[in-house]
Amino acid sequence: MTATVLPALEPAPALANSRRIPGNKGIWVGICCEFVEFLVLFVVYFVARAHFPESFEAGAERLSRVAGTVITLLMVTSSFFIACSVATMRAGQRRRSIGWLVAGLLVALGYPIAKYLEITWNLAHRINGESGIFFTVYYYLTFNHLVHAVWGILGILWVLARHLAGGYTTEDYSGLESLASYWHATDIIWLVIFPFFYVLN
Amino acid sequence: MKTPAANLGSLTHAWLALVLLTLLSLGTGQWFHGAVWLPLLVAAILWIKGTVVARGFIEAQFAHPFIARVLAGFIAFTPVALVLTAFFGSQFARWATL
Repeated sequence: MTATVLPALEPAPALANSRRIPGNKGIWVGICCEFVEFLVLFVVYFVARAHFPESFEAGAERLSRVAGTVITLLMVTSSFFIACSVATMRAGQRRRSIGWLVAGLLVALGYPIAKYLEITWNLAHRINGESGIFFTVYYYLTFNHLVHAVWGILGILWVLARHLAGGYTTEDYSGLESLASYWHATDIIWLVIFPFFYVLN
Repeated sequence: MKTPAANLGSLTHAWLALVLLTLLSLGTGQWFHGAVWLPLLVAAILWIKGTVVARGFIEAQFAHPFIARVLAGFIAFTPVALVLTAFFGSQFARWATL
């Protein structure tokens, strides 16, 4: 009896296996859910905008562009600092990584403060949720984003506590990178919201 | 496995680009107030900014293809919807009326 020797199959070069997951799988499930949630809210925005174009063109004129711009700059800057925290951790510079994360936290905390000042300004100018369709959509979208940002800030605090306790190493910093991925995704969502209410008129 | 480099220079460039594009989008809203093609310009800036965050900060080019596609799809959705709503708003409104 002769045995037939089959040549071993060469595994196909799988591109998917050569790519990495920024952070961990769990956070990307959460980010996908966050994206789906905001996609639904964006569809509502576009339906409202298509039905009431005049209200949306006039509405942006009444909001504080300064507030929208400040929040945008706070978001992109905190995102930048947290990306630097990941990059320095990857390079084995733990103390610098903690420093960048603290800077990211401090800048991120400016967002709820700026939002509070913006709402105060709005109310002083008689802009509330019942001021018209534009403002109803503006309030539900921006408040919803604020809620997600607050979760992100709580996440930064948790990751900072773990970082200070030596929870991350050059080999394993997935917790830090997961937080960074969530914060960057929340940043992208704000970058979408910003022109909706502060630029288009 | 491809791993991104720890390069603060490229992160700084991405951040500067985001700041400049934010100011540029504000300026376009002011300078081209009421222009028919303003949504087109705003949509382009929005897409570039989203892509800068995805590639510069999340490093989507090194990420698993599913993650890269999710990011690209989410970032592309709004600019496309903005342009369609700007140029076909009334048709969309009729289609979306209950």
